[in-house]
Amino acid sequence: MKHAEPGTVVVVFLRGGADGLTLVPPVGDDDYHRERPHLAVTPGAAVRLDGLFGLHPALRGLEPLYAEGLLTVVPACGSDDDTRSHFEAQDLMEQGGRNEAGGFLGRFLRARREGGGPLPAVAIGASLPLSLLGAPGAVALRSIDELSLGQSQRPLVPALRDLYAGDSLLGESAEEALGALQTLERLQAEPRRVASGVAYADDDFSTGLSLVARLIKEDLGLRAACVDLPGWDSHALQAQVMEPLMRSLSTGLLAFARDLGPRLGHTSVVVLTEFGRRLGENSALGTDHGRGSVMLLVGGGTRGGVQGVWPGLGPSALEGPGDVTVANDFRDVLASVFSRHRASVPGLLEARPRAAAFG
Amino acid sequence: MTRSRREFLATGATAGVAAAALTATGCRRGLPPFFEASPAGPFRSPNTPDVLTHVLRRCTFGLRPGDHEAARSAAGSPRAAAQAWIEEQLAPERIDDTDAQRRVRAIQGLDWPLGELYELKKDVLRHDLAKAALLRAVYSRRQLYEVMVEFWTDHFNIDISKGECAWLKAADDRDVIRRHALGRFSDLLRASATSPAMLTYLDGRENRRANGAFRPNENYARELLELHTLGVHGGYTQRDVMEVARSFTGWTVRPRGGFRKGVVEFHPEAHDDGAKLVLGRLIHAGRGEGDVDEVLALVAAHPSTAAHLATKLCRRFISDDPPASAVAAVAEAFTRSSGDISATSRALFATPEFLGQAAGEPPVPSKLKRPFHYVASALRATDAVTDGGAPLIAYLAAMGQAPFAFPTPDGYAQEAGAWRDTLLWRFKLAAALAEGTVGGTRIDRDALVARARGERGLMTHLFGRSPTATELDSIEAVADRSHRLAVALAAPAFQRF
Repeated sequence: MKHAEPGTVVVVFLRGGADGLTLVPPVGDDDYHRERPHLAVTPGAAVRLDGLFGLHPALRGLEPLYAEGLLTVVPACGSDDDTRSHFEAQDLMEQGGRNEAGGFLGRFLRARREGGGPLPAVAIGASLPLSLLGAPGAVALRSIDELSLGQSQRPLVPALRDLYAGDSLLGESAEEALGALQTLERLQAEPRRVASGVAYADDDFSTGLSLVARLIKEDLGLRAACVDLPGWDSHALQAQVMEPLMRSLSTGLLAFARDLGPRLGHTSVVVLTEFGRRLGENSALGTDHGRGSVMLLVGGGTRGGVQGVWPGLGPSALEGPGDVTVANDFRDVLASVFSRHRASVPGLLEARPRAAAFG
Repeated sequence: MTRSRREFLATGATAGVAAAALTATGCRRGLPPFFEASPAGPFRSPNTPDVLTHVLRRCTFGLRPGDHEAARSAAGSPRAAAQAWIEEQLAPERIDDTDAQRRVRAIQGLDWPLGELYELKKDVLRHDLAKAALLRAVYSRRQLYEVMVEFWTDHFNIDISKGECAWLKAADDRDVIRRHALGRFSDLLRASATSPAMLTYLDGRENRRANGAFRPNENYARELLELHTLGVHGGYTQRDVMEVARSFTGWTVRPRGGFRKGVVEFHPEAHDDGAKLVLGRLIHAGRGEGDVDEVLALVAAHPSTAAHLATKLCRRFISDDPPASAVAAVAEAFTRSSGDISATSRALFATPEFLGQAAGEPPVPSKLKRPFHYVASALRATDAVTDGGAPLIAYLAAMGQAPFAFPTPDGYAQEAGAWRDTLLWRFKLAAALAEGTVGGTRIDRDALVARARGERGLMTHLFGRSPTATELDSIEAVADRSHRLAVALAAPAFQRF
């Protein structure tokens, strides 16, 4: 249990610009229903969170987490990037600001110098996302096979254990690294085990999260993990684009939370997207690139409930061509998460007085 | 040195065509012909480390097969040979480095003028910069110079993931760091202060005189004092930081969007031209862009700067916790030589603390190689043929030391504590190198073992001494030859220098 504390930050990036007004619809807002005649979630269909907001029915799986105070919802959330370009907005968000070096997770991991461990960060996929840039020991992987030494290299382990035994500088680190390699090899060999009653979906998102859960449960010192859920760019037929993705998101997050069991208390899941979408529908039953979307936090110690400022959707409250105003800066939300993990992240935690509002 | 740039370009072009032709016929195995390792004969490494072994290990990215013998044959005693080697390395321009230069020149664009660098794709350039750094560390014969380049790259750290820094660092690397790495510190500092990459990385380009609610940007001024010169306890105050920031107002970089992008300019209207008081010295009003020179001359000559730089140099070359006596001697040499980096280094290499004379025998290799050093030394020690490509850079990133990718201005740490947790990836790389599964990199294991006159000879070469009984037991218990090489490369003795 050496690495059980102080926990893991898991970043779920909804790439493509997910419509916050569909994920967490303000069903108590008349302007919402007026501007979204075809796409609005009706008050009856939504899973009510409070007098104003509900969850889309495809996210119904998250209802118990919300009820238990393990899910925090921050509407009207985003960055100050107003290019409405996927590329620009994702970059800014993953670097944690416009003019920053490295990614926000990279700086997070660099900031916490103590207790690194052999496997501090993973990204599920073929390559590291920008948010992990500069992170020591970060590795992109699609399966555990890519991490272990592999069957053919097994004879190296006892030899290295002998050589490093009693090395005052490196002995302990070597033992950890070799222990991790053996753990990974065991995980590779044994079938995936999940806690009883946990139901991951058979899709990439759930598979990725279940791999992260396995690594967390093995106490390998995992501090940060990135799992992408792409495909939210709903310019046309938004319902058909979003509903399967929302089911993936909901099933995966619930299964992950339940799979972790008590370890959820040391785990913070951050769900973010580069921008939200325009309030008004387009002619293809879709929506175009907008500004504010929604951020979700899942995990122990999060505040629960709907947090932050809601600017409303009246004509004077909108931004630019009719977009949800970014009333809550994603960096304030991230800062609240990192402060739970006792790390000051350069450029992110400094001067974020509103971070406490989301903690 | 004897060939013109035109000739080099012609060679590169011919080789490119040849390589393309080979690819077309399916004969090419990853690397163009001139990348093949030169045939080399047998070699022998000393069973007990002498002072030459120590000096070579401390001042290079690791010994190649035969390096010790070659240096040893140049002079009588190991001590004299070490001396001669240091002197040779301190004059890098006299060392023919055609091979390494050709490999780096094969990477398109790194020698282009600043404005043209912007034509390169940012991601490609980021990768190419890392690749060039690795190729130089592996192949350059100017090893001490490359070690000093690495030292100053950390000292004046710039993360190429910030803004336009990828393009601008390509110029900073060659026009600031590489130009002055063994030159005069004041020249290096002056070049860095007005380097477009540094003006971007530490926000100097945004630094304008106070105007209403806007104050000058203190970022560069603080790091100049805290990291580049005096050191955090060097005796400056917040007031000094603010006065230095005022002195540097008005310097900016032309933006990427327009003409003459990346060009540094001084805008008098954005400069605070009032008098400043920096470290107790009055800088008169009306000096305009001359403020920079006054401030830099002041901080470069400050005694705290000599002590700060001497401490860092001794930490790199002597010990993570450098002895005060050596630091004092190196600081004195720095001051006496008016900040001549070669003279300062020469003084460091003459200290008894560096040479281990106090103990009567060469110091043990007590320092932990950082990941970049580890990777380069593994490639050098095994005479690997490598393109320095993406798979190796990915290993470096996993170990947390991809070149030019440290986010904060303090640069990659020198101390062992920062790097202990990278062993898992060192083990994986050692296994992959020995097994031949690192793309773009090959080791001829059998030839290497033959040249070392057996596996024990190879271990003696890798460890800088004959293997201990424990090492022999552990390694020889492994059945497979490639596994034995992997274990030797992963062994604790090969992690140190």
